[in-house]
Amino acid sequence: MFLWFARRVSRVKRRWGVISTETVDRETAVDTDESWVREYARDHVAHLLVVAAFGVYPLLYSLLVALGGGVAGAFLPRPETMTAVFYFGLFAMSFDFISGYTGYLSFGHAAFYGTGGYFVVLVANGKVPLLPADTPFMVSMVLAGVLAALLAVVIGSVSFRLSGVYFAMITLGFAQVMYVFMRDWGFLSSNPRDGVAVSNDLHPAGFEIGIPGVDALNLAIGPLRGDEIEWLFLDLGATEVSYYMVGLVVLVCYFAMQRMVHSPFGRVLVAIRENEERARAVGYNTFRYKLGAFAASAFFAGVAGALFAGVRRSVSPDNSLYFLVSGDALLASIIGGFGTLAGPLYGWLFDRSVVEFLSKTGAGGGLLPLLREYLPGSVVEAQLVGGMTFGEGIEVFLNGHAPLYLGAVFVAFVVYVPGGLLGWVRNRLGGTVAKQLPAYLAKLRR
Amino acid sequence: MTGALATVVEVFVSGMAKASLYAMMALGLTLIFGLLGVLNFAHGSLTMVGAYVAGLVMVTFAAGSSGLGAVVWFVVAALVATTLVGGVGAAMEVGLIRKLYDRPPIYQILLTFGVTLVLDELMRIVVLFYGQQPRADWRAALGTKPSFVDGNVSVLGASIPALELFEVAFGVLVVVAVWAFLTQTRYGLVVRAGSEDDEMASALGVDVRRVFTVVFALGAGLAGLAGALLMWDPAWGASVPLASETLLPAFVVVIVGGLGTFRGTVIAAVLVGMVDGVTTYFFNEGIITFSGISELMIFLILVGVLVVRPQGIAGQAEVGGH
Repeated sequence: MFLWFARRVSRVKRRWGVISTETVDRETAVDTDESWVREYARDHVAHLLVVAAFGVYPLLYSLLVALGGGVAGAFLPRPETMTAVFYFGLFAMSFDFISGYTGYLSFGHAAFYGTGGYFVVLVANGKVPLLPADTPFMVSMVLAGVLAALLAVVIGSVSFRLSGVYFAMITLGFAQVMYVFMRDWGFLSSNPRDGVAVSNDLHPAGFEIGIPGVDALNLAIGPLRGDEIEWLFLDLGATEVSYYMVGLVVLVCYFAMQRMVHSPFGRVLVAIRENEERARAVGYNTFRYKLGAFAASAFFAGVAGALFAGVRRSVSPDNSLYFLVSGDALLASIIGGFGTLAGPLYGWLFDRSVVEFLSKTGAGGGLLPLLREYLPGSVVEAQLVGGMTFGEGIEVFLNGHAPLYLGAVFVAFVVYVPGGLLGWVRNRLGGTVAKQLPAYLAKLRR
Repeated sequence: MTGALATVVEVFVSGMAKASLYAMMALGLTLIFGLLGVLNFAHGSLTMVGAYVAGLVMVTFAAGSSGLGAVVWFVVAALVATTLVGGVGAAMEVGLIRKLYDRPPIYQILLTFGVTLVLDELMRIVVLFYGQQPRADWRAALGTKPSFVDGNVSVLGASIPALELFEVAFGVLVVVAVWAFLTQTRYGLVVRAGSEDDEMASALGVDVRRVFTVVFALGAGLAGLAGALLMWDPAWGASVPLASETLLPAFVVVIVGGLGTFRGTVIAAVLVGMVDGVTTYFFNEGIITFSGISELMIFLILVGVLVVRPQGIAGQAEVGGH
């Protein structure tokens, strides 16, 4: 019975491109007694490790800060920052899903992120017809994704007639039309330029992530209005709860995208990137594939935007719809690895870590407080050129100016490491981490 | 009776002034794309640097001068901005972009986007260091305007800001100069040959690599020159966000005109400038109450042209296949 199921899983997985045909044949020939659960766990050992690492991070962080003080606080991003890394990382991954896999640079991707954010906030404020203000967050989040996907079908059906630079420009044009429109539309709020905030009268509690309708299976997110839970020896504050709940949604979305990328559908997307004419000659209707990928990508971008607005309880045109938001996703994708799906999350993690390390306020640590603590005062106050002290020099040239150094890193990556962080790792390992790690472990065991 | 005619003249001149600003922002971009096939995302940042450099020259040397003295100093400031920003452009081409010609065109977009981040933040550091606001327009540079471009001029019963006439004159002068360079000089011929087919040009003995560098420097220099002009306009002014504010209209003009075509860019600048002028007039008169109307129209023109005629007004259909 189990044997049959394992074979079946292998066959299904082979069809969906999870494991290459040779490994399946070898495995079914040799390890026929192995249960499909073990086989599945072994294939996903890299995923499990990553999820576990992110799972223990907040606990590890508070432990290290309690033990190590300034040093750990200066170098490790705070759990608040990590929550932002999750939702914006999801947006960057959705950007990579269309741009990295099909090669069509969606430079107006912020339109979908903003759609998600605005939709959730407007529903909560009772400004969307047919949806009451107390619609559960999970429902409005999914609807936000659906709306973004529909918008993508409209934009895509026009834009995919073009390619290359022209495609990037027309999507940018659409996004900017939306940006200007939402920035100046008086219906949204009294001052739409500053964005829209969730009304505290209509929504006193935080947005809840979980299974809608079942109160026990929901936890509110957000720094001020989030839930706090105590469970066994764990004492989780609102920040940690937000971290885990947002992380959970991002994880589900990542796996959905990962399945798509490794399916025959995903193979066609790569074929389009490598040689669209040949893909068409083989018989694929590339237009439909591109449109489908665009809609799926927009769905996840919309969900990311909804999470973003859900955590912050507000959204503004400049932090959700402006073209520089797409630029941030681009930055994350290039540093993390263009066309690697998981890479952009790490790229954005890198980006945020640098920004926080060089942050002006030094909240959660940073370079300057660290130096003050560990260097003798005479060094920090030492005069450099023109009466400027060492500390002031850092203040002027480093703190709050992370974009300068990230821009330089970005340029260096484009020129010297076009594959990005994850692409480089894959190159070194000779395949994806998810495939190489189990093989390496198996070699160790033997 | 003067009312209607005067209004038409006022709207027309303000539209033409905007058109000449847009043409200035976009000329360098289209020149670079035409020859190198590189869509330069750093163009806006170069314009911004030009505005600061020209403003700095004016503030330091021409603060008190008026009349002819101010004009002379403005020419000097414009030349300094052009040369300096052109130098930055040349360094960019030689140091970075040259490495990427054999990669897909997306990588050049990415690279210049990274350069934008660096340039903007560098300028922000400098501006903050001197205690200026990076957000608000730099008042000191705006204040160096001589009196004769500050007031209004009466033409056909219409009261027209002298600054707009100055901008139109400046824009026409630069467009004619670039046109003369491209069509009347031997080097312009080489540039046009390179745009047409760079492999053929190099086969015929043209050192295309050097031409690439020169044209990139020239395009960047034009961005600096545009910055010098924008420095005096209260609607723009020298500020760090000027980089993205000028980049987007420049993209629109270049795409609408047809990437890499000089004639198309000029036509598109006039089209976009006139639409901007007319919608701004409608908004000021209260006929349209939506405050973002001119920006909205500019991007709708971009989308509309790309849908109906992707190659742009003056482009040929195969330009996209570079």
